[in-house]
Amino acid sequence: MKILVPIKRVADPDNANKLKISSDAKVDTTGLEWKPNPFDEYAVETALRLTENGANTKARVGEVVVVMFGPKEAESTLRAALATGADRAIRIDANDADLDGDVVAQGLKAIVDKEKPDLVLLGKQTVDSDSNQVAQLVAEYLGWPQATFAATIRSEGDKALHVGREVDGGTLHLKVTLPAVVSVDLRIVAPKSVRSAHTAEGHAYPDGVRFAALMAIMAAKKKPLVEEKLSDLVPGATRKIEYTSFALPPARAAGIKVKSVQELVQKLKAEAKVL
Amino acid sequence: MHFLPIEFIGAIRAEFPPRFLEEFISERSELEVFGRDATRDIAPNPSAVVFPRTTEEVSKLLRLCSAHNVSVVPSGGRTGLAGGAVAANGELVLSLEKMRAIGEVDVVARTVRVEAGAITEAVHRHCEKHGLTWPVDFASKGSSQVGGNIATNAGGVRVIRYGLTRQWVLGLQVVLANGDILELNGALEKNNTGPDLRQLFIGSEGVFGVITAATLKLAPVPPPASVFLLGLSSIDAVLSLFRELRRAPLTISAFEFFTDRCAARVSRHRRLEQPLSTPTPYYVLLELEAIEFSDVEPLLQSLFEKELIVDGTFAQHAAQAAALWSLRESISESLSATGRPHKNDIALPIAELESFCIKLEKLIETQYPGWELCLFGHIGDGNLHVNIMKPDALTEHEFCEHTARVDHAIFALVAEHGGSISAEHGIGLLKKDYLRYSRSPQELALFRAIKRVFDSKNILNPGKIIDL
Repeated sequence: MKILVPIKRVADPDNANKLKISSDAKVDTTGLEWKPNPFDEYAVETALRLTENGANTKARVGEVVVVMFGPKEAESTLRAALATGADRAIRIDANDADLDGDVVAQGLKAIVDKEKPDLVLLGKQTVDSDSNQVAQLVAEYLGWPQATFAATIRSEGDKALHVGREVDGGTLHLKVTLPAVVSVDLRIVAPKSVRSAHTAEGHAYPDGVRFAALMAIMAAKKKPLVEEKLSDLVPGATRKIEYTSFALPPARAAGIKVKSVQELVQKLKAEAKVL
Repeated sequence: MHFLPIEFIGAIRAEFPPRFLEEFISERSELEVFGRDATRDIAPNPSAVVFPRTTEEVSKLLRLCSAHNVSVVPSGGRTGLAGGAVAANGELVLSLEKMRAIGEVDVVARTVRVEAGAITEAVHRHCEKHGLTWPVDFASKGSSQVGGNIATNAGGVRVIRYGLTRQWVLGLQVVLANGDILELNGALEKNNTGPDLRQLFIGSEGVFGVITAATLKLAPVPPPASVFLLGLSSIDAVLSLFRELRRAPLTISAFEFFTDRCAARVSRHRRLEQPLSTPTPYYVLLELEAIEFSDVEPLLQSLFEKELIVDGTFAQHAAQAAALWSLRESISESLSATGRPHKNDIALPIAELESFCIKLEKLIETQYPGWELCLFGHIGDGNLHVNIMKPDALTEHEFCEHTARVDHAIFALVAEHGGSISAEHGIGLLKKDYLRYSRSPQELALFRAIKRVFDSKNILNPGKIIDL
């Protein structure tokens, strides 16, 4: 099976307190640490699990191609994906400011037309813009079936996937004929969530995303990484969504100390007006 | 159950606000909590617990304790592993936990004044906003307190880079047994006015005085470090790896090692999976300051070729680095949660590590045949944590008798190699009988003489480190 996994780098949410807004209400990215969007990391892990025998994760059956829209310095995120086991990488040169979900979906359609994967596998959303649109738009542009919010995937070779979707109050099971677009949710990296046609029934993976072996990190430098131009893929691409301004959440007012219960009650009545 | 003298209680009632006696703990279950630290070998038995709010209250309290011959155990975050904060003989526990104010950070002098009860991690967070940190860091930082860190001269995971707590204390406020308050060294970096009394209190485990506040020296927050987890096939390989890395032009900020036994306990208790695909008996968590992966690539390549490293991984971002660190930091907690460890915390000169380890392995094979040994530690500063897990078939008493016997053999070996029987846990009650393996009779006699100068009635943490 050939799988295309679009990934994005996001500002590390653990460093949220470092996020600054510039005077013109834009996000100031200087000094931020970057990491792959967690749902995209899950998508890469899922793609690896779908193209291997869980008992021998060194040999790949099929191909995993990672693709990213971003500037040159974002290539380290692609190299990291190559180190965990992806075979090839494509970077579409672009700045975040030129992109929205629709431009990205059109760009991905162009890549799919060239690469002809059996499956486009991606995170259900990014943790920075939280728009949750790209998987659905790509499926629409391609005219392919889609299964969003996948919590489990069982592969039947290159023909079809059984997908368990996270829905309110349970899991919705469906069969998707390939080629298709699948977006993954949190639980997809649980030990038994993904089973390829080559993995034995009952095989359990370690929970979560795999770490890259040192040897693989070194070898990843030699794996192919090609650059494409956004203007070649989507001539005249224009955004449909314009971000007009950003603002940090209002700072919490400092607390006060009261001397007595009477004063507390009085303040709750007069100032907080909750009594 | 021990009771405080009625005249003492009367004096407290007369001299302290009503709150002081209201907060006074004498409930048995709570007494047991405050009466001990993380050591599980000695049963707690305090008479009461008090919570002073100010240095003046500590001073007044100690004056009364002296007058009424009430013994006091100073108590911080109670994370100690040598029984230094255990009240086993009806002592009054003096908890510093209500004295936890953290002052303004002086970004120019790079200092901060804190009260003794300030939690280590809270100090880190407080200073981080200014790009500064107090580089005393260890697994129990979430509950340990600054006063306790200083009183035990705490070590931890950054010693190889920053040294012990002692290096990061500029000024100290101490209350003596007679109630005198000492301000030692203020906030001076340079102060060459004779012997430095401050140093006597750092690492004294509360037997000379009660630390109530300190001016801490801060360092710039280091840039994000590069974190590796490496799998190795032998202790020799661990030591050879350390030698290779020390020769390279790198700043090592951590070189922690642990065995597969430790990893298995961590995985049982915390459900943290070991991320390397090749199982190996030894693991090293290596942290290097500010490097590009490509800078160390040739070195890593050669280490693989020499078969020093069998497998390894490199954290690709901060969350992965934190995940690798938690494998190491969860060990102590996991051993205690999944069994009954007997802990030894020894230090050797780096040059002696290899020959010591060979002899230690032999000793353990003969003295503990088939027992589970969980070995980990900070090889980078010569510190080994030797943990023997209690076999189910032995009673607690049999286990302690056996380990006490073997400890003498281990410590004799430590002494033979010029090592220390306690690298960072301290002496407390637990290692008191073994102190002679690391300190000469002359040293111990001087120690007793100094104790009498500060605390002639022996009311401050009596029986800790030495008996008078």
